[in-house]
Amino acid sequence: MASPIPLRGRLRRYGTSYAMLLPFLALFAGFLLWPLANSLYLSFTKFDGINPAAFTGVDNFVQLASDARFRHALGNTALYVVGSVVLGTLLSLGLALAFNGTGWLHRIMRTVFFLPSVTSSIALMLMWKWVLYPSDVGLANTIVDWLGGNAVAWLATPGLTIPILVLMSVWGGMGYGMVLYVAGLGSIPQEYYEAAKIDGASTWRQFRHITLPLLRPVTTYVVVTGLIGAFQVFEAVYIVFSQGANTIGGVLDSGLMIVPYLYDQGFTHFRLGYASAIAWVLFLIIFVLSLINLRVGRAMKEL
Amino acid sequence: MAVLSAACATSGQTPTQQADQNTNAPVTLSFWSTGGDDETATFQKAADLYKQKHPNVTVKVQTLSWSDAYAKLLAAATSRNGPDIISGGMTWTIQFGARGAMVDLRKHGADSLKAQALPAQWESAISPDGSVYGVPLDMSTLALYYRTDLLEQAKVEPPKTWEELTAAIGKLKAAGVKKPYSQDWGNLDWIGYFNYLYQAGGSFYTADCKPSLNTPQAEQALKYWVDLYREHGAPTATVEGADALDTGTAMVVAGNWIAKGLDVNKPKLKGKWAMTTIPAGPAGPTTFIGGRAIGVTSFSKYVQTSTDFVTFMYSDEAITAIADEARKRNISYIPPRPDKIVNGSVFTPEQAQVFEAAIKAGKAAPGCPGWDESAPDVTKQLQSAILGKADVKTALAEAAKIMERNAG
Repeated sequence: MASPIPLRGRLRRYGTSYAMLLPFLALFAGFLLWPLANSLYLSFTKFDGINPAAFTGVDNFVQLASDARFRHALGNTALYVVGSVVLGTLLSLGLALAFNGTGWLHRIMRTVFFLPSVTSSIALMLMWKWVLYPSDVGLANTIVDWLGGNAVAWLATPGLTIPILVLMSVWGGMGYGMVLYVAGLGSIPQEYYEAAKIDGASTWRQFRHITLPLLRPVTTYVVVTGLIGAFQVFEAVYIVFSQGANTIGGVLDSGLMIVPYLYDQGFTHFRLGYASAIAWVLFLIIFVLSLINLRVGRAMKEL
Repeated sequence: MAVLSAACATSGQTPTQQADQNTNAPVTLSFWSTGGDDETATFQKAADLYKQKHPNVTVKVQTLSWSDAYAKLLAAATSRNGPDIISGGMTWTIQFGARGAMVDLRKHGADSLKAQALPAQWESAISPDGSVYGVPLDMSTLALYYRTDLLEQAKVEPPKTWEELTAAIGKLKAAGVKKPYSQDWGNLDWIGYFNYLYQAGGSFYTADCKPSLNTPQAEQALKYWVDLYREHGAPTATVEGADALDTGTAMVVAGNWIAKGLDVNKPKLKGKWAMTTIPAGPAGPTTFIGGRAIGVTSFSKYVQTSTDFVTFMYSDEAITAIADEARKRNISYIPPRPDKIVNGSVFTPEQAQVFEAAIKAGKAAPGCPGWDESAPDVTKQLQSAILGKADVKTALAEAAKIMERNAG
């Protein structure tokens, strides 16, 4: 879209505004654009963080393609993303439908479910660590003990790692989705429901043909932001599942995700070029998936 | 934020190293110490003592927590701007040194410390090419902590050998003890296997750094260790040693660092626990020795003074000052000098003797090229065997392959 106003005229008209934007733009450039460009450059180099980076072309990316641990991290992350986004979105919607009233009880419940979203994630993860602590010290095993079961090695059973990570993510994130859905529900005109009732539509059909379609923009937003967040899971793996100094990713790498692997490569193996390459691969994955999501959202609208 | 914040590449020039003349100009050294605030306070005592002797030199000790120390040190090395002295994991100084971020202390007269240090630990602190980028700052080792009350009830003596250990577990179970045994330090980790491997007469590498996990000794060791989990019910989930004893585990293999705090943190345990060396294997009682290394950064402006301070940390008076403060704060400090372990230690005489015996029979992590790179993957292979996803032979063969690949 070419602007109809010539540059000189624009400067005369908006010069003050541009001048006021400058400090922000400088910060934006210095702390976002420059590091971004730099990490893109580094992804084509061999860089140990201390000695000068040596340009190696696409070597890092070629190596990534055959890196078994990276593939493992990708697979784990894919499972985790699907689990946490699908469950999280469904539960967010469920909570919103349950507590979208204006009464005090609904308000309190909304607050309760929203709390994890505004709590420091580090604090939440430390709490989970205590909940899942092995033997009968941890809360989860104390409960298992009351029920007469034997203590479960929550953090050392590979098959439980991803389900636990999904549970933590859904528990922590569904309140945020709920708030968005509540706002979405509030914006649906009541007349639609009244008209549907007159036509004899059941509650389910009202939900299916009015509520769901009109919430589509919210759903797209919740899914896309959930996806971006889930792909970048780090604290949960790093705090709850890493044991000892150099076993990021939990027992048998069962909780190894992309960002923890990136961290492991960059900050414990001095492979910052390789870590940058991982970061850009991750960016591409998220970018493509978000694009697909937005397209699907738009296509559904046109139906 | 999926983007790794990129650091500006350094120009790769070595900074002009100013020789610190013995002038009396005031000098302030910063020492980043990995560990807890209490430990920092003990090292600060040594630093204060140093200032008494050299009024113009102030050493400020700051704490780096274990969880983010490595990343902070890396950031300092990248920007070539940070502390003069660092301490951290035993291999860290080697890794930073290999990339030009540390000073070879041999060039500044710290080689003299070799005679005072424990040979096995010194070996693991020096680089494969012989450079000394860091020297041991303290030691850590393992002991078998046990509940005297539970063992008495079951009429079990503290086990001294592998056979006695499994027999003791059986007896305790028969006597109704639900949790006979667990491992804290090294659980499901190569450090845990290390003890069994060396006690069976095996090792990770030969003397000339060839990977050596394809041996009957390595197999015997792994089989015994895996059976502890699979046959004798050692828990795979790691419970911190003090918690394990407190919640009724009869015998716990744990690090020396829990010894001082047990009575304070778990008052109910007072008088109900004791410790001994970990059970010996067919080839002897080898025990893992870890600890921290301390070194001088190559971007320090006062390399000579810093080295002098590192050397001072080995002096009788510094060790005494650190031990006195550690005793007050219930810190299980073991000095890097074997002759100082019992004499003036922070522990009771009986405890100190256990640690001395463990350290006498001690071996430290392999200092072979590629070991650091291999350790996490070797750990994964060991975990496969413990969790029944691979048999002992296969797991060891896979681990050996990884080590071969990284030995370069």
